[in-house]
Amino acid sequence: MSLLKSRDDKAFGYLYDNYSGSLFTIVSQIVNDMELANDVLQEVFINIWRKIESYDASKGRLFTWMLNIARNASIDTLRSKSYQNSQKNQSLSDTTEFSSAPGKTNQDIDIIGFKKVMERLKKEHRVLIDLAYFKGYTHEEISEIEDLPLGTVKTRIRNALLQLREYLK
Amino acid sequence: MNIQEYISSGIIESYVLGLATNSEKQEFERMCALHPELVKARNAFEMTLEEFAMMNQTKPSKNLKSKIFAAIDIESDQEHFITEGGSADELVMNDPPDTIFKRPSAVVSMGRARFLAAASVILLLCSIALNFYYFRKYMDYNTRYQALVQSQSELAGNNQALQAKMAEYENTLNLMKDPHMLVVKMPSIPKGPDLASMTTVYWDSLSKDVYLSVSHLPDPSETQQYQLWALLDGKPIDAGVIELRKGVAMVKMKNIPKADAFAITLEKKGGSPSPNLKQLYVMGKV
Repeated sequence: MSLLKSRDDKAFGYLYDNYSGSLFTIVSQIVNDMELANDVLQEVFINIWRKIESYDASKGRLFTWMLNIARNASIDTLRSKSYQNSQKNQSLSDTTEFSSAPGKTNQDIDIIGFKKVMERLKKEHRVLIDLAYFKGYTHEEISEIEDLPLGTVKTRIRNALLQLREYLK
Repeated sequence: MNIQEYISSGIIESYVLGLATNSEKQEFERMCALHPELVKARNAFEMTLEEFAMMNQTKPSKNLKSKIFAAIDIESDQEHFITEGGSADELVMNDPPDTIFKRPSAVVSMGRARFLAAASVILLLCSIALNFYYFRKYMDYNTRYQALVQSQSELAGNNQALQAKMAEYENTLNLMKDPHMLVVKMPSIPKGPDLASMTTVYWDSLSKDVYLSVSHLPDPSETQQYQLWALLDGKPIDAGVIELRKGVAMVKMKNIPKADAFAITLEKKGGSPSPNLKQLYVMGKV
């Protein structure tokens, strides 16, 4: 850990070799695009390298910290203007065969990780976790989107998470 | 709410997965500091999450690692640059980083630019001075060279003239040494216009060629010329006008098969068909 904090290249290489695979899974499940996921993962590791000094072990494990950096970067990318524009362009060409290629790779990602476990949740739970965790909406936003009371959103998400925890084991 | 209820409320999962609100986060961290069992439970979920994630890996593209390392290498180089300029704390205390970054290097580059400008002006002046100096030198050498070329060609001309003279004399000498050569001395006639006049005719007895050596004759006027005559049985035969040239010892005249005597008269330029006896200068019998 101290090697990481002093930004040792070897230690950072070890970190990459160990965690790039699992972080890439979560990034690609959020951005839904393999090529874009590579760019985001690059940004994630550069952020990890930059912020490693601010990591506080008393608040959680290193992997948890990195996972949150990866999730935040992915959601930021989803919300960035350039991504929104490219989505618009894609929807125009949705009917062409060409645009079906990324969809196929997305399906490959979907059958592993959280997304697969989420299949086991009740639909009302699954939708909320998707909005909260994979789309990054706040509870208030979700309550508006789903037209549910804020309290219900909170309770359902908590319950869904507790269930997920059981599925992860 | 007791701690067990709190642990099983789903707050741990919300917090770890980043879904908790800010106030929830602060409360959770406060609770963690108070309840070691909460930290233990959080750790347990984190382990579960990490193990699950490690079982669900997808490989990013192969060259991504080198790209990331290239990017962070550039960043760490920049960082070294900052720390080399002085202690990082000092810099942050005194100035916003942007200005620290630029000011010293700007001063250095200004000084450098000035130095370079001054140096180039000095070099230019030196170059102009040297050009002027070498141009003058070149002009000087050029005139000297021209003078040398001229005197050289003069010397060559003189040399040629001398050689021509030498050849002439040698020729003359050969003629005089020739055993078949008949020598006819022609002194001034007793009542001639110039008593000091003296010439010699060399007459080749085989080829009958006539050569004339002018020892002394007064210079003729512009419109006059001396003419050599051969006398046979008292009749004059034209033997040619004499081209007096300086440095020429002997002049070849007309071929005369037979003659008793030779004489020279002063005639109008180009010669006359018959001699003007009043202007008879020299005469000699064969």
